[in-house]
Order: sequence, then structure tokens, then C-alpha cells
Amino acid sequence: MIARRRRTNSGSDSKQNGISSQTSQTFVSEVLLDTDMSCRDRTNEFFSAAKLLQSRQGNGALAQKRNPALRQRSEFTQIAKKIGRDLANTFAKLEKLTMLAKKKSLFDDKPVEIQELTYIINQDIQGLNKQIAQLQQVARSHPNARHVQSHSNSVVVSLQSKLATMSNDFKQVLEVRTENLKHQKTRRDQFSESPSNTTYSNHSSVLFQDEMNHSQGATGGADVVINMDGLDKNRFQQQMQLVDQQDDYIQDRADTMKNIESTIVELGGIFTQLAHMVKEQEEIVHRIDSNTDDAVMNVEAAHSEILKYFQSVTSNRWLMIKIFAVLILFFIIFVVFMA
Amino acid sequence: MKLYCIAVLHKGETKVNPLASAHELSSFGYFQRSSVKEFMDFTCKIVAERTIVGSRASVKEQEYICHVYVRSDCLTGLVIADHEYPQRVAHTLINKVLEEFTGKVPKSQWPTANSSTIVYGGLADYLQKYQDPKQADSMTKIQSELDETKIILYDTIEKILEREEKLNDLVEKSEGLSMQSKAFYKTARKTNSCCVIL
Repeated sequence: MIARRRRTNSGSDSKQNGISSQTSQTFVSEVLLDTDMSCRDRTNEFFSAAKLLQSRQGNGALAQKRNPALRQRSEFTQIAKKIGRDLANTFAKLEKLTMLAKKKSLFDDKPVEIQELTYIINQDIQGLNKQIAQLQQVARSHPNARHVQSHSNSVVVSLQSKLATMSNDFKQVLEVRTENLKHQKTRRDQFSESPSNTTYSNHSSVLFQDEMNHSQGATGGADVVINMDGLDKNRFQQQMQLVDQQDDYIQDRADTMKNIESTIVELGGIFTQLAHMVKEQEEIVHRIDSNTDDAVMNVEAAHSEILKYFQSVTSNRWLMIKIFAVLILFFIIFVVFMA
Repeated sequence: MKLYCIAVLHKGETKVNPLASAHELSSFGYFQRSSVKEFMDFTCKIVAERTIVGSRASVKEQEYICHVYVRSDCLTGLVIADHEYPQRVAHTLINKVLEEFTGKVPKSQWPTANSSTIVYGGLADYLQKYQDPKQADSMTKIQSELDETKIILYDTIEKILEREEKLNDLVEKSEGLSMQSKAFYKTARKTNSCCVIL
């Protein structure tokens, strides 16, 4: 990828006097190919079309009109080129760091170099971030045609995605490095006595030394030998005190981070529980809904039944009169029959 | 929790050279302030002299704690705070101040320059900002916000449990309602169907 970019740089340098959009197109097409985006390289077709247009319309008038636009575009492309070059350099440094971090032997470690390289890469990534933001500003500040605008946007987006992949790789390398450090520490502790429990102030370490001496004395054996060991441990512990003071601060920060991480995990668990409960209650809500629908349906049906009854009762009155009239007639006939 | 003083010094081979400092003396009486300031500067010098290069330390002094960090290039940062101020935040502050100082003032000036010759005005701002560690230090801020969020979420879960009870109530009532309406419908249908003749 580095070789490809160098070729692009030299190519665009030589073509600087020509049509600037060509160079940016070449650059972008190379960049797009690098990031594995699914796009075809149609630069050759573009070149042939541009040559055709050029031969058709003549160069002079067009070149003058395009000069200020050329200058704006070339500023953009120069900044983009610089960013691409810095990106390539930082990628190379990151590869070096990866090689250094992957070494697993106990004594071949170069912590100073690794720290320096990490610091440099960190600074580089921050600087690149700022540069890309600046590039975006430049692209937005010049009011260009729509296709030029979309081209600048795609260049900026591709640079940003490259930076993002690089930061991800950097993070992974740092994780690998911490894993290796942990392994080294455990292995070192296996082979040498672990000088744990060293503290800040001198008082408690003196007490600790007394305790160590007493416990050593209790195990028996020649007193002289054990005292010498105790003295050695003393010196060792004092040296480790310095390292551990720094370590304590770092340990403190690590503990706080662990706390924060566990709190966040807890919060995540609470959220899932919440979602679970709400989902269960959804079923209850459905049941309520269907019950009320049933109730409404039944009430409507009963309402219509009663209406029907009411209608039959009201419309029945005439029938009722007629029936009564017939009954009274029958009564009269009966009475007449009897009497 | 209060911060009283931030100071940057250069720890040379033989002597310690104070480079910049900022003080927050509003809690002392007006007439005591100058003497307290002198005493603080003196303490800074002594502690910086006694501290080994490339180490951090926290020295307790009556009711104040002095956090000091001597970097490997002999630039020293000092913070005087009270007992409650968290140690980690103080050391984070020292780191930040030292980095900014290294960026602004070139290294050649450190052994010789004085607080009057160096132009570095950021200390007072830092002192003000870090008076409340919960706001200024990002890790404490995150921790406190997360704790608040956790409390809010516990409240939410309790409310959801109450909601569940109310929903159960509603289910029972709606079931009763639907049964009653069904009985109502049956009665209405019965009155309609039976006494048509009459």
C-alpha cells in the first residue's frame, strides 16, 4: 500500500500542470481501491473522454476559466496528499510497533522504545485527526459544483475510514502488549520471589521487614544466612518501592476504570431486565385489550336486542289492540251464548 | 474538598527553582494570607528537594496533603490539597499541568528562569476548575453520572413493578366486565325470544 501511494504521489506531481481533476481522480481511485470499497477503476475511460473533449474544444479558453477553480482544487488535493503521506508513515510505524509488541521472550523486551513509539503514534493519530477535520473545513468553505463537492466528501470519508482502521489496529496492538506484559509478570514471578506488599511510608516497610525477619528466623537454619537474605530483600524492596509508587497511581487508575466498567456492565444488565419485564407485560396488555373488545361487542349486541324488543313492543300496539278487540269480541260472543 | 495551591518547579542538581505557582487563599483570614503563601512556597521547595527523581509521593502535613510528582526530566509538579481530595485526581492534575507547561515553556529556561520571567498563566484556571474534582476530572465525572443513572434505573424498575400490579388489576376488572356484558346480552336475547307471542 505504501508503494502504491508513492507511485500516486509522483504521478500527480508530474501531472500537476495538466488537468487537476485527473490527478485527484487517480488519487481517489487508488485510495478507494486501497480501502477495498466495491468500485471499479474507470480512470482509463475518463482519460480518454477528457482527451476527446480537449481535442474537440481547444485548450486555451477553457484553461483560463478553470484557473481559479484549479487553484482551489489543487489546494484541496495538496492537503489530501499530505494527509495520505502522513497516514502511510504512521502505518509503517504501527507495523514496527506491532512487531515489537509481539515479541514474547522475557529478556528481549525494549520497553523504552515501545513507549516512545506508542507516544509518537498517539500524537500522529491526533494530528491526522485535526488535519482531516481541517480538510473537511476547506472542502466545505469553497462553494463548488455538486459533483466536485461529492468528490471532496468521498475523499474525506475515505481518509477518515483509513484513520479509523489504523486507530483500531493501534488499540489491538496495545491490548496485545498488555497481555504480553501480564504474561511476563507471571513468568517473572514464577522464577523470582515476588516482592509484593510494599507500601509508601518507611514505617510500615520497616515493620514488614521485621515480620519477614521473624518469620524467616522461625523456619530455622543458620541465622547468618537468613539475615543476609533479609538484607537483600530490604534493598530489593526499597528499589521496588519506587517502582510501586508509580505503580500504585497507575493501579489506582486501573481500579477506577474497572469499577466504571463493572458499573456499565451492571447497567446493561438492568436494561435487559427492564426490556424483559416490559415484554412480559405486553401480553397482559393484549389480554386486557381483547377483554374490553369482547365487552364492547356484547354490550352492543344486547343494546340492539333491546332496541328490537322496544320496536316490537311499540309496533305491536296496533296488533295488541287488534288482538284485544278480537278477544273482547269472543267475550261478547261467549256472554251472548251463555245468556 | 479544596485545592490550596498548584506549583511547578525545576529540581536541579543542587537547588530547586520555582517556576510558576497559583494559590487559593480565600479560606484564610486577610492578614494570614501572605504568611500562609510563603509557608506554602517553602513547603513546596522542601518537599521537592526531598523527593527522588522519577517518583510520586503524598506528604501529610497537619491538615493538608501535598502531592508531588518529579518527572524523569526533573520537572516537578506539586499540589497542596486537603485530606478529602482524591489522590488520583491530584496526580492526574499534576500530569496535565506538567505536560502543558512542557509545551509552553522551552526546556532551556527551566534551571535558570524565575517566576517573573516565565509567562505561563494557566495555573489559576486549573486551580479553579479542579476545586470540584467531580466536574473537572473525567473519570470521577463518569463514575458519578453512572451512579446517578443506576439510581434512576432502579427507580424505573420499581415503577415497572407497580405498573405490573395495576395491569393485573385491570385484567381482572376487564374480565369481569366482559362476563357481565355477556350475561346482559343473554338476558336481552331471552326477553326478546320468549315473549313474542304476547
